[in-house]
Amino acid sequence: MFHQILFLMSAALTLICAVAVLVTKNMMHSCIFLLGSLLGIAGLYATLGADFVAVSQIMVYVGGVVILMLFAVMLTGGKDFVSKAQNLLGLAPSMGNKWTFSIAGLVAVVFGLTSFLLINNVTKVVTIKTQNDEFVSTVNQLGHLLVKNHVLAFEISSVLLLGALVGAAIIARPKRQ
Amino acid sequence: MNQTVVTYLAQYEFFDFLLKIFGQNTSLLAFLIFFLIAAVIVGIMATVGGLGTYAERKISADIQMRMGPNRVGPYGILQFLADGVKMMTKEDIMPKDADKFLFYLAPMLCLVGVFATLAVVPFSAGFTMTDLNVGVFYLIAISSLVGVGVFLGGYASNSKWSMLGGMRGASQIISYEIPVTLSILAITLLAGGMGFGTIIGRQEGLPTNWYIFHNPFAFIGFFVYFIGAMAETNRAPFDLPEAESELVSGYHTEYTGMRFGFFALAEYIEVFVVCGVAVALFLGGFNLPFHLEIDILPIQAVQFGIFFSKTLALYYVIIWARWTFPRLRVDQLMSVCWKYLTPIAIFNLIGCAVWLVVFNGHSIADLIFGSH
Repeated sequence: MFHQILFLMSAALTLICAVAVLVTKNMMHSCIFLLGSLLGIAGLYATLGADFVAVSQIMVYVGGVVILMLFAVMLTGGKDFVSKAQNLLGLAPSMGNKWTFSIAGLVAVVFGLTSFLLINNVTKVVTIKTQNDEFVSTVNQLGHLLVKNHVLAFEISSVLLLGALVGAAIIARPKRQ
Repeated sequence: MNQTVVTYLAQYEFFDFLLKIFGQNTSLLAFLIFFLIAAVIVGIMATVGGLGTYAERKISADIQMRMGPNRVGPYGILQFLADGVKMMTKEDIMPKDADKFLFYLAPMLCLVGVFATLAVVPFSAGFTMTDLNVGVFYLIAISSLVGVGVFLGGYASNSKWSMLGGMRGASQIISYEIPVTLSILAITLLAGGMGFGTIIGRQEGLPTNWYIFHNPFAFIGFFVYFIGAMAETNRAPFDLPEAESELVSGYHTEYTGMRFGFFALAEYIEVFVVCGVAVALFLGGFNLPFHLEIDILPIQAVQFGIFFSKTLALYYVIIWARWTFPRLRVDQLMSVCWKYLTPIAIFNLIGCAVWLVVFNGHSIADLIFGSH
């Protein structure tokens, strides 16, 4: 029961913050709500027994991505900048009226319910797994799988990341005169 | 090593009595015990953080041949309580054009990031809140919330000094995370696990079993970790985010009262936590120098004392360094990190891996004295 309460709290955090990201107009605030949402996802991973993935989620997103996004938003103008410059608020009426919006909403609900039916089996499996009270560390299994069964994918993704790193360094390097 | 503090307490007799009261509702009981222990640890750590400010002023006074605080209580030791009362009763001022939401959030993020790390700090074999399998990794990850807090504190104040301090703080923290993480990775390689229980369990016994003396690479790694940790906690000589001679007070220039107090408290507790991690990873943690079969509460208290004395010794070194070395420039700060510490840390990591393969995991002392 305790796990389920924690799971529901993490899910609520994720969803509320995700909605807040969309609703907020200030981009810095959106970034912070995104941080909350990503922490909630880490909580979901943790309650489902994926400890390493949960901590990696915090490490990568909170420690790296959100700080970089905050930097990027701050250096490119921050609040109220984009909506004024591109006149998004002015565009909004031309994008639709109440009929188109309600049809779109109906379609979204139908589509959501259908996809929920489709993934219904998946959620059942997950609820069975959460009832395992005993957490087994996934670190060893992950390590074995990564360097034995999936070594090719592992190496390819590391080469890709290295390429991205070198590319970023080259782009950021000051040009020689 | 016990999995959590609850499973540790479960071996004592009074736990059966508690189980009778709560009946089948064990998860509620576990939650209540965690809540209680967490409150105790947060209280202890807040006191340690407060005494840290006192120690800082007293030690700096010693180094500069002054008296330091000596009016409140014997030797001025209650100065931090007086400071706390002063901060709580001060007016809470917010700049007119500040971002209200982020301004309130920033000190909280700093404090939450630091207090969340306390969940895995190994105070003693029994009283570790929880011995996660990914303990060290969790600690590095969750403490990056402090970086977000520092950055937001600088941004939300809407002042150029705060802004510069916040930007310096965030860039410094994410840069120095790399050498720190690499040196920790070398130790996890030696220990074969990321949990503090595993790492400390492997260093049991005499100081020759400590990982700092395991091989030359780990010895260098300790200093890389220590310098990087000093920079990550924004301590001098790396205190550029709050460089008072150029940025007034950096990212917390505009904060008053208890919000400023939260930043200060977070900094002092984080210093304690990074020192504790250094002790647990390199200096043998809470281990007694001999092996004991029995496990009773006084032993836990002794382990607690050992951990605290080692950690506070490192705490002293950090304060000592602050009042001894001049501050680095920004370009020097970055070149120290990227041109010196990071290559050395990578070299150490590879060196430790090679050592493990070549000497089959034996430490220098094992090779010299031929034990096992």
